[in-house]
Amino acid sequence: MTLILPLLFLLTAVSGTAVVLVRDPARQIFAIAVNGLVLAILFDALQAPDVALSELAVGAAAVPLLFLVALMAVRTRPPEEKS
Amino acid sequence: MSPRARIALLVLAGLVLLPGTGAVIAGLPPFGSTIAQYGERINAITPQVRHVANMVSAINFDLRGLDTLGEEFMLLAAITGTVVLLRGRRGEGNTERAMRRPGRAVIPRSDTVVLVCRIAGPLTALFGLYVVLHATVTPGGGFQGGVILASATLLIYLGEGYAGWRDTVRSHWLDAMEGGGALLFTLCGLAPMLTGAAFMQNVLPLGTFRDVFSGGLMLVENLGVALAVTGGFTQLFLEFMEETRAADEPDEPGEESA
Repeated sequence: MTLILPLLFLLTAVSGTAVVLVRDPARQIFAIAVNGLVLAILFDALQAPDVALSELAVGAAAVPLLFLVALMAVRTRPPEEKS
Repeated sequence: MSPRARIALLVLAGLVLLPGTGAVIAGLPPFGSTIAQYGERINAITPQVRHVANMVSAINFDLRGLDTLGEEFMLLAAITGTVVLLRGRRGEGNTERAMRRPGRAVIPRSDTVVLVCRIAGPLTALFGLYVVLHATVTPGGGFQGGVILASATLLIYLGEGYAGWRDTVRSHWLDAMEGGGALLFTLCGLAPMLTGAAFMQNVLPLGTFRDVFSGGLMLVENLGVALAVTGGFTQLFLEFMEETRAADEPDEPGEESA
């Protein structure tokens, strides 16, 4: 346990920074999903399974999906005008 | 505001806020050291008085049930607002059928994706139901289970395509689930008052400790939350998806005002 927690904190920091540093919105969404997944594992390691389950469902699945759909709405316009 | 003034404001705000923040952080209990007193009391009392194994559910639905009622309506208001915002321009009439943007190609799905979705979809829904029903026994509850159920419907979208998804998911049902869930929760608060008890007092038989049927009124409230969250989140997905499709429809001025 002593090794797992610092490792998970490090992973959280790394994946959180990755969300900011990744510039392409489509990849950024997957970075957010990975960050949510890491957070869910961290919460589980800290013995908060209820919060982990919420984070997993909302942070790693629902929110990235909404972003993906919203991005799809923004993206489809330019290629259509070109063709 | 000029950039220089902004930085001055930032520095000023930092000077004002940092000492307080530092003091609060210094005053926090050390990481992972103790369970707070409130938590210890809950752990000691709840199994006896409420017959519930999952303390988080006991707090959410019983001890601090009023807070959850507020959150329930927060969710309802947020989703209603989003739906009004997204649906506002195109009105209510065209949400019944699946729409497709004229210019967008329909990418055929590989058999693997369809197969995996058809296997994983029902399993995810089953797991969501399990999480909802076992709210008072194992971690999870109405909210978590509801979101899992909502994502299970998304696997239908992934596997069967948008038209198939729209055939499965009815917008009006989702409205009814969302509002009905919130109504059920409110009734759980009001119904005990008819018997002379306090608002949201747990008047139902409490059941057996560590059994699915434990917690009394919590089970009904949990069901209300699950209904509202499943309906609400699916509605949210639906409206977002619809928005990506309806944007290209020709807007007629007469239709817009209707």
